[in-house]
Amino acid sequence: MATVLLERIGLALITMIIIVVVVFFALELMPGDACSVNLGRGASDSMLAACQKRLGLDQPAVWRFAAWAGDFLTGDLGISMQRDRPIAEVVGWRLRNTLILAGLTAAIGIPLALGLGVLAGLNPDGPLDMTISGIAIFAMTVPEFISGTLMILLFSVILGWAAGVVTIGYKAPALDLLKASVLPAATLIFILAAHILRMVRASVIEVMQSDFVQMARLKGVPHRRIILHHVLPNALLPAISIIGLTMAWLLGGVVIVESVFNFPGLGRLAVDAVADQDLPLVQAIALLFGFIYVLTNLGADLLALTLNPRLRTRRK
Amino acid sequence: MKFKLHAKLVATPLVVFMTIASAAQADTVLRRANDLSFGGSESLDPISANRFYEVNDLIYSRLIRQDENGRPASELAQTWKANETATEWTLTLQPGVIFHDGSTFDAADVKFTLERIKDPALESPVTDVLGLIEAVDVVDPLTARIRLSTPHAGLPLLLMDYRVRILPEGAAAPFGIGTGPFMLDSYDPESTTILNANTAYWEGIPKLDRIEFTAIPNSEARNQAMLGGQIDYNGLTRDQEPLYAGNSAFTVQSYPAGGWFGIAFQCNQPPLDDPRIRKALRIAVDRADMLALMSGEGNGIVSCDTPVKASDPFRATLDCPQDIAGAKALLADAGYPDGIDIEVFTADLEPGMVQYAEVYQQQVAEAGIRVKLTVAPSDGYFDDVWLKKNAVTSWSQRPADQFLNEAYRSGAAWNESHFANAAFDTLLDQARATLDIEKARTLYVQAQEILFNEGGTLIAYQENGRRVMSARVTGIAAQDEDYIRWHMVGMEQ
Repeated sequence: MATVLLERIGLALITMIIIVVVVFFALELMPGDACSVNLGRGASDSMLAACQKRLGLDQPAVWRFAAWAGDFLTGDLGISMQRDRPIAEVVGWRLRNTLILAGLTAAIGIPLALGLGVLAGLNPDGPLDMTISGIAIFAMTVPEFISGTLMILLFSVILGWAAGVVTIGYKAPALDLLKASVLPAATLIFILAAHILRMVRASVIEVMQSDFVQMARLKGVPHRRIILHHVLPNALLPAISIIGLTMAWLLGGVVIVESVFNFPGLGRLAVDAVADQDLPLVQAIALLFGFIYVLTNLGADLLALTLNPRLRTRRK
Repeated sequence: MKFKLHAKLVATPLVVFMTIASAAQADTVLRRANDLSFGGSESLDPISANRFYEVNDLIYSRLIRQDENGRPASELAQTWKANETATEWTLTLQPGVIFHDGSTFDAADVKFTLERIKDPALESPVTDVLGLIEAVDVVDPLTARIRLSTPHAGLPLLLMDYRVRILPEGAAAPFGIGTGPFMLDSYDPESTTILNANTAYWEGIPKLDRIEFTAIPNSEARNQAMLGGQIDYNGLTRDQEPLYAGNSAFTVQSYPAGGWFGIAFQCNQPPLDDPRIRKALRIAVDRADMLALMSGEGNGIVSCDTPVKASDPFRATLDCPQDIAGAKALLADAGYPDGIDIEVFTADLEPGMVQYAEVYQQQVAEAGIRVKLTVAPSDGYFDDVWLKKNAVTSWSQRPADQFLNEAYRSGAAWNESHFANAAFDTLLDQARATLDIEKARTLYVQAQEILFNEGGTLIAYQENGRRVMSARVTGIAAQDEDYIRWHMVGMEQ
């Protein structure tokens, strides 16, 4: 058990180190540097030199990498070029807002997906399953920027039930943000739930046809008991890693959904930072996204390990 | 600790919100979007490179503004007069104007504002326009004398620059005190900025009680906010326009603006050092067709390679229909009877920049001009391509004198086509020293004719700006934002 645990954590660490290296050197390969990109057309030589000196861009790349990675490890994310403020401060509020949105999405989306997935899986090819699966496939194929825009069109412009675009600021109280998160969260839930429920459905169908369920049925175990004690525990285990992966996908999803709904989170900040050509900020957000992705997956892995004894021993 | 913080965070805005909500019924509020083009570093310093123009326009006044024909009109300066050599300008100022903090506007504020432009520590882009101001003398509280380092008859036109806004003497960061129709209430470019009516505004009490700016960086999200009635005033792109067509809840306006795309051909690189070839490359273009394709019929004005906008009193009105035969003849003359190969670079920096080059490529093919089109990476385009290659370029409006000097005078830093013509430079010098506005106009027009005949930059048209407003908004004519008299703008209930 301990070795498996250490192995997973070790792998996650290695992945994170690779992310750090890739994020730094990928931006290094781009034409120009943070200063020339940020100052753009109006850059005079003296302005450029002053900026490069301020950011230490006149140093060799490897040396800068060491300094940057070191700062990052100690929690110093650097200074945003465009905003001229510490990145930790710029990112902090947005991270909170994105967590609110992602939390709301997960809190509603995951139980909803599990429930619908089980329902569909227990009655495969029935009218209920056809409806649920049909909607799920639709949700999976329509990109977020379209479903988000349609949501606004329907609920805000046509029906007038909810404000379409989030107009409160990034420092707004958490409760206000939660209220403003309804449409963006609905858009994310729509897609997130679709992915998870498709997996759960397949898993339930598979377990229902397994030998031990057949056996239980032949022995006359009541249907209710078969479902609750034999099918669900076995069918929902694989869902954990899928939930982990889907939550990680959510990070990519928020980039688009936040932009469509003007939600003041990390995803919109990422888009803004790219548009503003604020390279230090882009680097920091890329790293954050990478780390959250790895950590979410690690969490799902560890949870699966705890719940599923079969995973704990290595097969030779 | 965290809990306490949150309780506070919830409580204060809630109180504020309730206060605003109870007052809202009586107030007329215009809600606008801030596109965050400076990513949160928007500055209330009007001459900063990151000036928050939309807000500065409301809280500050200029000395001189433009009338509907683009001519200088009185704002904080009542009258202006030059000495015979146009090296000294004397301005008499509007009496009885007070700043938002209650202090009185006088010549010392003019001196402070104008001399500040040259402060090297600020690195203000306005130096390019008004760097020629040597000093300002306070003659008496309502008279200021501006001394120039070189003669300039067009100083009033330069003072119309949208960034030259009067600050109170000694103003410092974060700024925000002006003499304009609206006063700053709260300022946060990344979320909400609120401006209240200045009831002591010297031209009359504003009709609106408040103007609010909400940060919405994404163009599509701004559009959705407009459609959903969350904002009342917004810029509009061509492809968004049909969404509002025939909807009586909205007013859509298309107004002359001065921005353009162009292709800067390098006049110093053979074979383009031959002006005949440069002219052939430009007259082979069907400008009206290109305008219709790129911007939609009637949404701009054809330009015969003049960078000057339609509302500028010094714009040359030339005629330049597509001339395939003429282009072929010029090429043959220059030794290319079988046509010529030209490489043009562009980048996907702004929507339309790639298409502009593509339309060009198609249109001139008939004249035997074979364009090899290269789409360069957007990053580093201005470092690696611009000023070095034949490249698609993009400019925003500026006054004629500034444009012609900045982009075409021999050796100017942003002379992107490396155009060098002594006669052209002389005309600009003469125009600057000519106080008679009609005579000056003749000189500027001649300079633009030289550009059409020998220049290296293709400018097919100037595209209109577009905006959409709630149909309840009153007092905004189909003109550039610069012209809007904000204290006259209202909202029907």
